[in-house]
Amino acid sequence: MKLKKYLALTRAGILESFQYRMAMLVMVAGNLLYLTVVYFFWKAVYASAGTSVVNGMTFSDTLIYLVLATALFNFMEMYTVWEIGRNIQSGKIVLDLLKPMRFRSFLFWSYSGSFVTQFFFTFLPTFIIVCIVTNGAVPLGINLLYFAVSVVMAVIINYAIDFMTGTICLYTESIWGINIMKQVIVLLLSGANIPIAFFPDTMKTIVGYLPFKSIYNTPLTILLEKNPDITVVAEALGIQLFWCIALLILSSLFWKVSLRKITVNGG
Amino acid sequence: MKRKNLRFYFRIYRKILAQDLKSKMSYRADFIISTIGMICTNIAGFISFWILFRSFPEVNGWSYHEILFLYGFSLVSLTPVQCFFDNNWSLRMYVYSGDFIKYCFRPINLFFYYQSEVFDVKGLGQFAFGIGTIIYSWSKIGLPLTFLMVIKMIIFLITASLIMIAVMNAAAATCFWITNSFYVMDLALKFKDYARYPITIFSPVFRFIFTFVMPIAFIAYYPSLVILRPDEIPLLSWLSPLFGCLFFWLSYKFWMYGAMKYSGTGS
Repeated sequence: MKLKKYLALTRAGILESFQYRMAMLVMVAGNLLYLTVVYFFWKAVYASAGTSVVNGMTFSDTLIYLVLATALFNFMEMYTVWEIGRNIQSGKIVLDLLKPMRFRSFLFWSYSGSFVTQFFFTFLPTFIIVCIVTNGAVPLGINLLYFAVSVVMAVIINYAIDFMTGTICLYTESIWGINIMKQVIVLLLSGANIPIAFFPDTMKTIVGYLPFKSIYNTPLTILLEKNPDITVVAEALGIQLFWCIALLILSSLFWKVSLRKITVNGG
Repeated sequence: MKRKNLRFYFRIYRKILAQDLKSKMSYRADFIISTIGMICTNIAGFISFWILFRSFPEVNGWSYHEILFLYGFSLVSLTPVQCFFDNNWSLRMYVYSGDFIKYCFRPINLFFYYQSEVFDVKGLGQFAFGIGTIIYSWSKIGLPLTFLMVIKMIIFLITASLIMIAVMNAAAATCFWITNSFYVMDLALKFKDYARYPITIFSPVFRFIFTFVMPIAFIAYYPSLVILRPDEIPLLSWLSPLFGCLFFWLSYKFWMYGAMKYSGTGS
């Protein structure tokens, strides 16, 4: 069975993250503290605004959006660029390339274990707390299903972008600079720091043509929609699907071309 | 043993610095890309700031330009930690691999030797951005430009920067106990983004925490009050240089305590 070899990697990943229990504890506690800061900041911002709805979003909408964006970020961040970059520098990548599995799948599935632990230890607790704190401002219905589908596609898009950025490291031998550029661009243009609803109109149009929006803004907007209109949701998911396929093909092609150029020092 | 004086350390620092810069220059592409990455980070920060305050003209009685001033102030006061103490980020790797032991055998101060090894030139870009922002907002608010004001500004900037150095030292030093201090450092770094907003937006409990436990309020808020609100300067603002030195000293002791506890990995 083909899936079995992948699931073995998932299992190994889960066990690995349990090795660092202290780090996990610090992360959960720190995350909660950070969310409190976000809460107070936006509360003050809305209190000074004078109106309860700004750019079509109420305080609780913005709070849910940003808190879950942070949770999604923790969940999706796989440090792929660092992993690829370090493996190239140390030469370890040769061993990974020899494995009877495509490198891209190998990398993805070795991280899938931390998806599972991150989901249960950061995303789910955050989600439950947000539901309680905002007194049911999160609509619980069919939109949860759409949200789940959307998140899966967001993970794939995010991974494809990460993988492409990591491939650039084959040429530059710079990791920090490449990674920070990617992170800054993705976080800003995907609406992870500030909801896209707040953007000025011209920026909104530009962002609409880029894939980054599908990573954070699309799933979160779908989640916050109280009465999801099936055509609107279908359109958003369709755009996500388009980017999923396009970026997967692109990253795979880019990797294949780059692999011919690879120079490994020792190893 | 003869006690080494300040001049001795200054001379050594210059020598180590020259070596570090030379080795950095041999990876020119990496250096250029990292610098561009740093500039991108700052530009994205400004764009986020602009988008946010487009929708909310003031927060808690603080005008746009006053918050911009705080922003610039925090950028400048965060420069030293970026430039001189960047090696803290590698500490966990040295401790994990056992290479840290090499620092313990030098006849100079362990903390000094460890930190002096890396000088991060990228931080200078941030410094330029910060100074630009301060000058712009200074003229927009219409603050008087006197000799005394500039002196005050410089003193408070230097002491404010000690706080962030202290926070990062303490965060990095946790790796002597939990090995992987990356999460703690990453979290500490996240909080600095909120250091640039007035602390009055938080509830009393958090005001206390951010003043005495995790002193990020001293990075920009308290010192800036001396310049921005000269009529109602709280005692804590005047005390902030004292707190800067105190927290720095505490973090140094904590770091050294961890380093002394370090027993190597046996390799």
